Amino acid sequence: MAKKEETKTVSPAKKIFDFKSMTMAEKSVIVVGAVAFLLGVWGLYTRLFVGEREVGYGSYVVWGLWVSMYLFLAGVATGSYMLAALEYLFNVPMFKGTGKAALWAGLVTMPAALASIGMDLGHMERIIKVYLQPNFFSLLAQMVWGYTIFLAIVAVTLWLAFKRKDDQPIRGFFKFVLWVGFFMAIFLSGGVGALLGVNASRPYWSVGLLSVQFPIFAFASGISLMLIVVGWFMHFKDEDQRYRLFRWLGWVAIALSFTKIYILWAYLSQAWYSQVPDVMVPLNEILFGQYWWSFWIIQIAIGTVIPLILHMTPKLAHNNFWAGAIGVMVLVGFAAARANIVFPAMSVELLDGLPDAFFGPHLNILYFPSALEWSVTLGVLGAAVLAFVLGAEFLAVFNKPKTEVK
Amino acid sequence: MAQEPKDVLVRMHEDLQRALEKAPEDRRWVMVIDLRKCVGCHACTIACVAENKLPPGVVYRPVVEHERGMYPNVTRSFLPRPCMQCDNPPCTSVCPVTATYKNEEGVVAVDYEQCIGCRACIVACPYGARTSDFGYTYTEDLPVLNGVIVGRETADDYERAASYEYGKEWPRAGHRSSPIGNARKCHFCLHRVKDGELPACVSTCIGRATLYGDANDPDSLVAEMVNLPNVLRLKEELGTEPRVYYLV
Repeated sequence: MAKKEETKTVSPAKKIFDFKSMTMAEKSVIVVGAVAFLLGVWGLYTRLFVGEREVGYGSYVVWGLWVSMYLFLAGVATGSYMLAALEYLFNVPMFKGTGKAALWAGLVTMPAALASIGMDLGHMERIIKVYLQPNFFSLLAQMVWGYTIFLAIVAVTLWLAFKRKDDQPIRGFFKFVLWVGFFMAIFLSGGVGALLGVNASRPYWSVGLLSVQFPIFAFASGISLMLIVVGWFMHFKDEDQRYRLFRWLGWVAIALSFTKIYILWAYLSQAWYSQVPDVMVPLNEILFGQYWWSFWIIQIAIGTVIPLILHMTPKLAHNNFWAGAIGVMVLVGFAAARANIVFPAMSVELLDGLPDAFFGPHLNILYFPSALEWSVTLGVLGAAVLAFVLGAEFLAVFNKPKTEVK
Repeated sequence: MAQEPKDVLVRMHEDLQRALEKAPEDRRWVMVIDLRKCVGCHACTIACVAENKLPPGVVYRPVVEHERGMYPNVTRSFLPRPCMQCDNPPCTSVCPVTATYKNEEGVVAVDYEQCIGCRACIVACPYGARTSDFGYTYTEDLPVLNGVIVGRETADDYERAASYEYGKEWPRAGHRSSPIGNARKCHFCLHRVKDGELPACVSTCIGRATLYGDANDPDSLVAEMVNLPNVLRLKEELGTEPRVYYLV
């Protein structure tokens, strides 16, 4: 009997996950996500039911990998919303059809960011106190409230995006929500930088430009995520749109890479020429000390230079696989960049000789994430990847045509 | 016959009694540490650990040591570092739930049951005066040999018995029970002071190098000391207005 293929749209509610019908890219990412999540099960169990003893951070290097991942994932979430605003709010034709995927990415990465920071809390069960008895002068309290409202706004925006009929003009409540969400994305992405910058006790964070760079990096993160989505997952009726998107995203990514390099240069050179000892210690750690590989290899080579070269090579930049790979590399670079901002600033002795004055666990200024921290991070990232791909499949945000074989 | 000078501990006790008769907001507790008298014995650190039952990794009053010069011109100096109880504390405003605050007597306190353990206060403190309690005990890895060594069980019971910081009982139970998971810091032994006792580090100092009292009382020992010309405070340029003064 001859097989007959027909394309039919099935409502999301009726969809079930059919692994066989997934593309190779989807299957591969699901496998990677599942493996990461499984590697994280031990860490998540230990952190939740045993405690925080096995972590590498402590009382001198106070925030570690989990806080860095929170900054990174929150940046991806806010950047994704900025990208969705390009389709819905600013009506950029090139981005037509990508908004739902961007919003879904924001809806997944923001809880992942909050899970990551939640693991860092000594008493995570008391987070409710930030809602019930907040100190709004604290940036941390502002961020918790901001993220909660933002998460609700992302969810409402996505719901409105699904409700909207094709080509229906956006106005009224939908437009209002988009404007609020857009400004919150900028406020929150900058706010996480300010969270560090307000600490006068850590001069490395008080160098100008710290909080200013975060919204730009967040937007760049959103662009990188979209490269992955467009390259590996998205379906287009007109394949030309994919290539136009590659070209457009590529140009924006190149412009943002140069902006990133410029800001990094301005930040680091200003720190360097200040020759302030408490600024020089972290700077030396980053450039030549224990974190040199994270800066030069991951942040600069993998996260910036190689993607820039690939972007400037049209044959690769317009190839589905490589476009997605560029997105992954840039995101990995951003994750390392966050870590390079957080840990080294705390490797300074606040009083000369203090770390040698009393010995005990977690009283050290040398920090490297412990197995528990890596495991939890893999678990959170794995869960986010699985939620993103499976949820996108369920919600049909990749515009995938449903093909049935009769 | 000339009157024998009073021991400073006796005088500080008398100062303390006078201060406790005043309204709390009229007191200004300060600590004065005479670095010329400090011999680096670390008795204050140990007294503090014992008084507050501090676990491994938690310290309120370390003594920072420095060795200077080359033989034969070598000296060692010691800097005890309690919480500075700043009048403009950078640690309180960053707390998202007001778990750390300046109390009515001007001492920076931590409400252990309110603290969510975000450690923002530890990041904000420019003196490194706060540490995080990760839930260790000193005795947990000691051997036990039934009938021969009872060390761990006995000592463990002692370690897990309640401390009385802030005038409340704080037994060390599971990893979710405060103060495990909290930021912790020196509080000038408020629970002792309330009962008319000097802070543990002051009582224990063998050189009488650490002084404590109400600087608002012009007759107190500390009021005399804080106005001496050889007084300094740490990182004054930050504008934190520490209440710990060093005599140099």
